[in-house]
Amino acid sequence: MTRIYGSRVALDDVHLELLPGELTFLVGPSGAGKTTLLKLINRELRPTSGRLWVAGLAAHTLKASRVAELRRRVGVVFQDYKLLPRLTALENVAFGLQAGDLRVSDEEARDRSQDALDAVGLGDRGDAFPHQLSGGQQQRVAVARAVVAQPPLLIADEPTGNLDQETAWEMMDLFEDIAAWGTSVLVATHNVAIVTRLQRRVLTLVHGRLVRDQPAGRTGRMAWLASS
Amino acid sequence: MAGVVVRGRFPRRRIVQAVVTNLVRHLFGGAARSWARNLGSTAPALGSMTLLLLMSGLVGLTGFALHNLQQVETGQASLLHVYLRDDATDPDVIMLSQRLQNDARVAGLTYVNKAQALERAQRIPGLPQLADASESNPFPASLDVQVKTIDDMAAIDALVRDDVAVDPVYPTSYDKGAYQRIQAVLLGTAVAGFAFLGLLGFIAVTVTANSIKAAIHARRDEITIMQLVGAPRWMVRGPFVVEGAITGAAAGLVAGLITFGLTFAAITAAAGAFMRFAPGVTVTVAALAAAIVLLVGLGLGSGSSLISLRRHMET
Repeated sequence: MTRIYGSRVALDDVHLELLPGELTFLVGPSGAGKTTLLKLINRELRPTSGRLWVAGLAAHTLKASRVAELRRRVGVVFQDYKLLPRLTALENVAFGLQAGDLRVSDEEARDRSQDALDAVGLGDRGDAFPHQLSGGQQQRVAVARAVVAQPPLLIADEPTGNLDQETAWEMMDLFEDIAAWGTSVLVATHNVAIVTRLQRRVLTLVHGRLVRDQPAGRTGRMAWLASS
Repeated sequence: MAGVVVRGRFPRRRIVQAVVTNLVRHLFGGAARSWARNLGSTAPALGSMTLLLLMSGLVGLTGFALHNLQQVETGQASLLHVYLRDDATDPDVIMLSQRLQNDARVAGLTYVNKAQALERAQRIPGLPQLADASESNPFPASLDVQVKTIDDMAAIDALVRDDVAVDPVYPTSYDKGAYQRIQAVLLGTAVAGFAFLGLLGFIAVTVTANSIKAAIHARRDEITIMQLVGAPRWMVRGPFVVEGAITGAAAGLVAGLITFGLTFAAITAAAGAFMRFAPGVTVTVAALAAAIVLLVGLGLGSGSSLISLRRHMET
């Protein structure tokens, strides 16, 4: 697929497929098109040309009225967490669940949100408000909110950007666990140490082109570093 | 416990219950909380809309009274007196009567003889002295023609003016200038009224749309999260429409109550005079006007929100 902003080509004829249970890193210098790719997957943008299928839905032709349906199949994690400050951790997770699916009762939302918080290691902090949590804990709540509806795909845009190295590693362990449950996880990051050490699949974008698709288990050169 | 069947709750009912609970919470509860929280920023919209709805209500009632007055005046103005010559023969008068009765524009016809004309004149202030000053009866017999619409007055006047039975000096009571003045005043009043209401509506919509814009800005994080977790579009926008509707309803309620209160006070204070100057405006009509003001407020608030959402909320 290709995405063009005015005269600038943000993504240039990118071909890729994400598989269930696969943790994939998306790397590249600033302005390489990482965020554009994530926004296309979440249908915040539409490709200028090409086709994009997300969990069985044709995002490239999807009408605005059906975008919500696609987004229920994609969990999203942001660098700045995007938690609602006046809701507790448990309520933030439950809000994500019930706003996406009205059929979820309060009781069910509470149970599933608690399970999600347990899974991210914050089962005992459900009553805490975001300002009472550390950055890493807030990001964990955001991950819990993203996965509580069990979407087949999780995308994360620089999820460790505001975290120290130790917390970033904990976050990566969490993403590995989520991938192990069968979810496709795509993480856009600048963190070279994590990418090289984990030896997962790495997609390298430079100037909007997918210059390398390195399979898991290999240690490749960070070609994009030369361009950044 | 053997043999006892324990019935579980019907799952569909639980789903319906959950959907209704979530709908009420997100659409109405969320909107009400947000409205109360943002009351400070909503206050200008609430105040201006209340004022505008109140003025609309009063203008509406005034328009209704004017319409009724117009009906009364039109009924009187559409009566054309066709004055007959003193020496008009019966066959000429009968022929003229038949011509008028066969005309589709004529609603009714009454013959008034000289004695009846004198009797009528003596009831009009100033005319009895004139009648007494003359030894003979100076008032002519006439055919009183009730015309269906006031616009046909000129045509009926032209039809009878040169008839042999009609007085050539003072043929009819038709006064072209008077009718044109009445119609010009009524048209001017209606145009001014509609223009005023249009201006009020525009101001109300703009002010409310701006307050909703502020509410959208204040809740942009919540909106972003709702959109990203796959909340349907109507669910993201719904609370803002409800919030606008609450503002409109609150303004409409206050304006409606004041409209009703003022009208009720005027009716009870001087019923006779009020009925003469504002015919048809009763307590029931005032209550109806208050209800309409409330509904207009509701519609105006929701509509303004929708306009604001279209402009300021991204999908």
